Amino acid sequence: MKKTIEFVGLTVLMLWTILSAAQLTQNPGQGYKPPRTADGHPDLNGTYDIATITPLVRQGPVQRVLTDEQAAKMEAQIMKERKDGDAQLSPDRPAPPKGNGDQDIPVRYRIASGNVGGYNSFWIDPGWKVNVVNGEKRSSIIVDPADGHLPAMTPEGMQRAASLRFLPRSDTRESSDPGLERAPGAYDDPERRPPSERCLLGFGSTSGPPALPVLYDNLHQIVQTPQAIMILTEMVHDVRTVRMNAQHLPKNIRPWLGDSVGHWEGDTLVVDTTNFNDKTRFYGSSENLHVVERFTRTGPKTLLYQFTMEDRATWTKPWSGEYTWPATDSHLYEYACHEGNYSMTDILKGAREREQTPAKAEDNK
Amino acid sequence: MASPPAAAHHAFGSEFDSNAPVLIKGKIAKIEWVNPHTWIHVETTKPDGTTEIWMFEGGSPNTLLRRGVNKMTFPAGTDVIIDGYQARDHSEKRANARNITFTDGRKIFLGSTGTGAPDPEKFPATAEPPK
Repeated sequence: MKKTIEFVGLTVLMLWTILSAAQLTQNPGQGYKPPRTADGHPDLNGTYDIATITPLVRQGPVQRVLTDEQAAKMEAQIMKERKDGDAQLSPDRPAPPKGNGDQDIPVRYRIASGNVGGYNSFWIDPGWKVNVVNGEKRSSIIVDPADGHLPAMTPEGMQRAASLRFLPRSDTRESSDPGLERAPGAYDDPERRPPSERCLLGFGSTSGPPALPVLYDNLHQIVQTPQAIMILTEMVHDVRTVRMNAQHLPKNIRPWLGDSVGHWEGDTLVVDTTNFNDKTRFYGSSENLHVVERFTRTGPKTLLYQFTMEDRATWTKPWSGEYTWPATDSHLYEYACHEGNYSMTDILKGAREREQTPAKAEDNK
Repeated sequence: MASPPAAAHHAFGSEFDSNAPVLIKGKIAKIEWVNPHTWIHVETTKPDGTTEIWMFEGGSPNTLLRRGVNKMTFPAGTDVIIDGYQARDHSEKRANARNITFTDGRKIFLGSTGTGAPDPEKFPATAEPPK
């Protein structure tokens, strides 16, 4: 009986995964004859700049496909923010306001700028174009669920996500300092800090999987051989090695970016990733996250990137996204993160400083 | 469900103190061209005539390199005004580089759009110092 239930459950799950993937563009690149490597497969070698202003999650009351006017409005808004950021200031300006450094920062960047205003727009390079897939200007990277939003989380997933960083536990006071994380002991040890601060991985799932656009340094390089395909992400020189036609590693081996194996389905490279560890959590996902990515050349300078995410312990159903990776002639530069990471010591010293100040000590709990 | 948070290399608010705004006028002493953040060292003269060095955190140098800005663009001695918020450990003369301008108020780096090769007429990566 138990086996029957498991079998039925597994079948439902597989059907769900197939249905989720069905929302993705089918037979992409049809009619385009890509250049091929010596072994006859499409040549994916190259550098891609995946920056786009199309967000992962749909924003506002728009459909999956943007009208030309809607797309133009989004692009004009980015240009305006750029121009505002470049505007001349008074040489006699005072220091910025106490307690609120975010008032002149575009709303979309305020969470990252931590109430001190981050730094202004010249350092940020989130792209300036909406993403085009199959001739459609897209409003979100997520295409399934059809509303462009992540599916509901399971109660277990919500609890895990909350306990990671964002919410206080019942035995802690909520910090009154908007710049601080509320999780208890978040600053007690460098190993409690997130992988990006520790220079172990880039932030915001830049390397993935799934690989997603971030605020800057969005370059990715693919190097293709018959036995393995490497995907190098500029930040922080994260390397994914996709072993072709191979079996997954044993479950007790859990690399930072999971374990990726690949195969070709026609002219599409399909990459299957499992064996995540408990630190590289995508929006709080579990170690049992399963990602399937599909890479297809769709034109002389474009590659379509599609992915399906499945994690029964986190989301109530699988979900899928897709967006175009444009090839670029720009150079991907080394990103030697440890060498100048003053931030880590500043953050930990800042926490020690607060511990010495009784009035602020509550914020450290 | 709320949108996922925008991310950055680190939480700015945990490194810098929003109750300690600073504005420093001085000369660029050097720029540390390192990841994850560029650090701009500025020598400033205090009211008693002695000098001190402040360090300001900027973004990734890779972004600027793609725009044609490099180590030689702003030589030591360039006069600047920088504002930001001091590190939470106030014994450190460090702050985030919220705005970096020449002495006439123009931004020294300009935010261009796209990485490839922005049109230098339309999107110059830097401004010229005042004559």
